[in-house]
Amino acid sequence: MKKLFTTLFLLFLTAPVISETVLLKGGLVHSGNGGAAIIQDILISENTIVSVGNNLIIDGNTRVIEVNGLPVTPGLISPMSNLGIVEINSLDVTRDDESELLSAGFSIFNAFNPHSTGIPWNRSNGVTSAISTPSETSFPIFGLGSHFILDGSLEIKGSQDIAMFGRLGASYGSRAETLSLLESLLDIGKLANSMPVEEILELKIADQLELQAQDIIALGKVVNEDMPLVIETNRAVDILQALAMKQKYDLNLVLESVEEAPMVLDQIKASNTPVIIDPMDNIPNSFDELGSSLDLGKMLDQARIPIMFSTQRSHNYHLMRQGSGNAVAHGMSYETAIKGMTQTVAQTFNLDNRGSIEPGKLADIIVWDGDPLEPASFPKIVMIEGKLQDLSSRSSKLTERYTNTENKPSSYKH
Amino acid sequence: MNNKLLLPLMLFTIIGCSEGFNFEFSFGDSKSESSNLEIDNAFASTYAPMNSEPMLFKSANIYDGLGGEFRNYDLLLSEGKIIEIGESITAPGVMVIDATDKWITPGIIDIHSHMGVYSAPGVSTSSDGNEATSPVTAEVWAEHSLWTQDPQFALALKGGVTAFHVLPGSANLFGGRGATFKNVSQNTVQAMKFPGAPHSLKMACGENPKRVYGNRRQAPSTRMGNMAGYRTAWIEAAEYTDGMNKKDSDRRPTRDLAMDTLMGVLNGEILIQNHCYRAEEMAMMIELSKEFNYKITAFHHAVEAYKIADLLAEEGICAALWADWWGFKHEAYDMVQANIAIIDQARNGSGCAIVHSDDAVGIQHLNQEAAKAMAAGNRAGFEISKAHAMRWITSNPAKAAGILDQTGSIEIGKDADVVLWTGDPFSVYSRAEKVLIDGALAFDMNNPKIQPITDFDLGIIQPQANRVQ
Repeated sequence: MKKLFTTLFLLFLTAPVISETVLLKGGLVHSGNGGAAIIQDILISENTIVSVGNNLIIDGNTRVIEVNGLPVTPGLISPMSNLGIVEINSLDVTRDDESELLSAGFSIFNAFNPHSTGIPWNRSNGVTSAISTPSETSFPIFGLGSHFILDGSLEIKGSQDIAMFGRLGASYGSRAETLSLLESLLDIGKLANSMPVEEILELKIADQLELQAQDIIALGKVVNEDMPLVIETNRAVDILQALAMKQKYDLNLVLESVEEAPMVLDQIKASNTPVIIDPMDNIPNSFDELGSSLDLGKMLDQARIPIMFSTQRSHNYHLMRQGSGNAVAHGMSYETAIKGMTQTVAQTFNLDNRGSIEPGKLADIIVWDGDPLEPASFPKIVMIEGKLQDLSSRSSKLTERYTNTENKPSSYKH
Repeated sequence: MNNKLLLPLMLFTIIGCSEGFNFEFSFGDSKSESSNLEIDNAFASTYAPMNSEPMLFKSANIYDGLGGEFRNYDLLLSEGKIIEIGESITAPGVMVIDATDKWITPGIIDIHSHMGVYSAPGVSTSSDGNEATSPVTAEVWAEHSLWTQDPQFALALKGGVTAFHVLPGSANLFGGRGATFKNVSQNTVQAMKFPGAPHSLKMACGENPKRVYGNRRQAPSTRMGNMAGYRTAWIEAAEYTDGMNKKDSDRRPTRDLAMDTLMGVLNGEILIQNHCYRAEEMAMMIELSKEFNYKITAFHHAVEAYKIADLLAEEGICAALWADWWGFKHEAYDMVQANIAIIDQARNGSGCAIVHSDDAVGIQHLNQEAAKAMAAGNRAGFEISKAHAMRWITSNPAKAAGILDQTGSIEIGKDADVVLWTGDPFSVYSRAEKVLIDGALAFDMNNPKIQPITDFDLGIIQPQANRVQ
């Protein structure tokens, strides 16, 4: 294993990071589609996976990287992050995830900072793309999330405004009021199909809700164009309310957190609603989530509800590996865990060309030094759209500086 | 958005030292008058071990918590103590548990918990961990806030935690006394208190105190204000201690609860647990301890500890750390995952590294956090074994809590606080199968009768069922 690392390191030194034809040979490939892993080769040309199988035919110009049975997965996709839009949580001047003016139509896309230190850190830990979202506000809808490719390129790469985010649950006011507010917003979204935005803006309700044109347009997309609406909610009856709203407005609903989902599995299943969970959060943090437990992942999996993973801690979105590993320890299937970090996210959020290791998909691929669900494992190779990524980060630089025993002040060790 | 229809969310996050907080209440100075109470005996532990019977684990793999690894060994527990460790123990008439292919470790110990003082659910009425009404509140004791029915205790027990140290929060320069508890279900705080464990005094550096009080336009509002606050208090404490040592009891000062605590530190009876992230601030705190002649037991959170690993090793100060938390505030920006390993390996491996949680989820998985820290250290070039890394969550936190004589390792004569794991305790797939506290079965994964359910959990969602089954 050490030898492989040296080989790869030399490759980085000698080869510029450019797209070419690459064969990842003999990895234990988890395709991300829910099937069991098998030893396979992956042939990548330019940015795309060309073929997956054994004894693939390659030409003399193909660079062969021996993977030697190490686990290979699609690049991990965080379904909910603040990557690129929050540098330090406690410093508002480093945050771009809140709007004073907009609600449903607030887009964080243009605030994305590809040089944020969280990006190389998460990338070196196996996260190759992420949906970043606005932060929670007191309003039940916070705004729009966008999908970003974490290759650090200055030109923002990704898909703008792919889903809307909101929340249903305890607040100072009654949740009955929140529900009626959500319905008012969705009614306005419905109107956006038949009425010009300018006219909707003149309605009393739009004024009362302080809606801007962007908010109305975005709500229209949720109701009329099938844009996913992600609602964080936990209490069993709140989950049912959200599902009723899905039916009434024909929403492309995604539920997040859902700590009391085990009590309403049949209804979630019947509605074909995917969920995003933090499998490690078994704390009854509020009176909305008294039913939280480590069995959540298992229960959802047994009901065949599509699962994705968030993490409690900001800045470390790769910890969804640890979270899903704990879910597996408590009865979720291993394949569901891998799929939940890759293909399920791609399918739910219409990231059509990512999320699995299959011919025709973009080559976002990780080679791991051990079982990807073990927290101690770490990537050996991170590839985004066919390009091998540098695994360094500010954190790795600091580590090198402070494990370098040269007798000089630290500022001279670099 | 502030004038929108709904008021801010009510979800009070559980406030560890990592989080922001905002308290806007205050009430009067409640320092008590002089009293003749014997200080040492006030609120003493009334802990009594649960009933146990002798137990023999056969063919176990054992990490002893001191760096030792024993494959296929037997372990005999009796009368609450560890009696024998050997390759083939026979003890007629004793309950035998086949531990083939399983692992035994000492009970996991967390040196930084707010369970019971920031209980779940994390609502305002349970927010009892920060007496954020004055920057110096050395007079408060975390144990006086503890809620015995916090459902988080039982969840930590399922993660193998047999003892934990509860600290006040970090809003204040001196936050108050911390105390150590056995992870047992009891209806009084004293019955949970770890017998003989010393108190600690929580101190906090950096952003938290200066933000909390700076926002109120009062001192401290800067890091230099923090330092002035500590020094002023220690000057008073030194005078108080001198006064209390006077032979003529009539010339002693009126008893002062805050000064009692600081005097306890100066007398070496109370251990300093110091929340501090930045390297130069930790070095400053070490200078402060020398100016006033006290000892710092551990720096907590210490995201930059690796920058002064040698200094901490030389001073014999432990660093209690997360494996990978960062970015939530400025002083937590320079995270390296090898932090714990670098501390451990400093000065020829003489450093004292601890994995702590400060978090009700993290405390359930300290073994996994140690696994991450060990792997990061080994990637950075160290050669740290699992047997060695086990110290970070057992004997080292026991040392920092002042209870290493009783627990924290598998040694003959120590409290039988042990965990039987279903597999490698550093694997995400392994679970604590049996957790024993003083030889008594406190948790058994396979026996619902031996899984504590707090009063809070009982019938809270539906009357027919309990919250956690």
